Amino acid sequence: MIRIMGVSKTFREGLRGRKVQALDDLTLKVQQGEVFGFLGPNGAGKSTAIKTLINLIRPDLGTATIMGKDATDQRVRRHVGYLPENPYFYDYLTAEELLWFGGRACGMPKKLIRERSIDLLNKVDLGQSKGRQIRTFSKGMVQRAGLALALIHDPELLILDEPMSGLDPLGRKMVVDLIVELKAAGKTVFFSSHILSDIERLCDRVGIIVGGRLRLVDEVTPLLADGSSLEDIFMREVRNAAPESAL
Amino acid sequence: MNALWAIAMITFKEGIRNRAIFGILLLALLLAAANFFVSGMIMQEIGKVAVDIGLSSISFSGLMLVLFVGINLMAKDLDRRTIYMVLSRPISRYQYIYGKFFGMTLLVLASTALVSLFSLGAVALIKVGAQDFFPRFSWPSVFLAIVFITLMLILLTALTFLFASFTSTSFVTLILTVVSYLIGQSTSGVRTLVEAPNVVGIKVSAFTVKLVQGAYYLFPNLSLFDIKTQAAHGLPVGADYILWTFLYWLLYTTLAITFAALIFRRREFP
Repeated sequence: MIRIMGVSKTFREGLRGRKVQALDDLTLKVQQGEVFGFLGPNGAGKSTAIKTLINLIRPDLGTATIMGKDATDQRVRRHVGYLPENPYFYDYLTAEELLWFGGRACGMPKKLIRERSIDLLNKVDLGQSKGRQIRTFSKGMVQRAGLALALIHDPELLILDEPMSGLDPLGRKMVVDLIVELKAAGKTVFFSSHILSDIERLCDRVGIIVGGRLRLVDEVTPLLADGSSLEDIFMREVRNAAPESAL
Repeated sequence: MNALWAIAMITFKEGIRNRAIFGILLLALLLAAANFFVSGMIMQEIGKVAVDIGLSSISFSGLMLVLFVGINLMAKDLDRRTIYMVLSRPISRYQYIYGKFFGMTLLVLASTALVSLFSLGAVALIKVGAQDFFPRFSWPSVFLAIVFITLMLILLTALTFLFASFTSTSFVTLILTVVSYLIGQSTSGVRTLVEAPNVVGIKVSAFTVKLVQGAYYLFPNLSLFDIKTQAAHGLPVGADYILWTFLYWLLYTTLAITFAALIFRRREFP
């Protein structure tokens, strides 16, 4: 479903154009129907990798493909639902209009958009607020609206960047239930999160990225078979990466 | 086409519900009311003054719309990253720019129509009260002047898109647009002056002449769209002038928006 092959990306920062390596030879594959957790400390390159898949960022080296097509091919995004980290939407649109846009942009018929909007807004607990402008929403409500927008066109692949961010416990449970439901429906879910317990609970496989380099990719069950927690493994990988970065 | 229309619609809705629009409409209403007072204070050429003030208020309100609502609509997408929700759809960068531009054009049309209603309402009422001062008044001339103002505002919108495609903040876009507007309004007159300085008895260096000529061809000649004087005096505007101005508008606007799309295609959104 997802193939990231040898992707490197460098950004230039500040007036002097200091080079910052955001991704370093990242290679990663995610199979269809898999729930993949993408872990890493802040600034590790998770969002950069995700933005490469959405074609918001273009790699300096390497390729990113989704369903066999290059990520730069706009048609591929018909099959992708994306939730950015800390999403922002148009202030003066209502949640219903936001989903109308999402559906129309994917070429969905109006009747289907209406039906799925009602269903999804109820699912993310925004059924009562569908006619309210987004500027009146709380952070958690915006996050819920973003989830509904990512799902409106019934995509095969969900790419969620910190989907639990800003949500209360009820909201987090809603996201967990949603991911379980999507997996049962055969969808592929690729998500980043700092909440390790959720990753442990939901993911088939996990990848840990530190300093732009992928340090570990493994199935969750065998990884935790010796009694280690994901937190222990995560901390170990971050510590192991530290001396390398210092070199 | 669906995607392009969807972007145009959300841009229009986002713009029309913006509170700044209400401020601009209120300003237009006040300017229309001011037209009564100003026209009432002078005892001659009331018709010309009323039409001139009416058209100027349409032009000024439209300028406020482009500078403060239009630029903000585009800038917010980049500053607050609302662009992620658009570009994560099966939408090309070209569709994004063209869709956004069409949405903004709809906003300019709707807003100019409403503001014109206030301004022309005031002119019509003044005309009822001072019929003798409107001997050569012609509604078609006034409507043509409004069409030209609208074209100028759409061209200016295309320029804001061009500037927003390569600048990093909305403030820079605003500055570049204001500078282009000021140069565009005066470039034709300044060029005439520097190319025949003897007429007014001044000396102009060859470098200045080249500089002004360069600015004349680089910046849009916005004075072409200003036919307020003709409308106020009820003077006819030739069909060839209308045609050439329209073609100039079409060419400049198309080029500006196409360059914006070309630059935008290469842009990244980290």
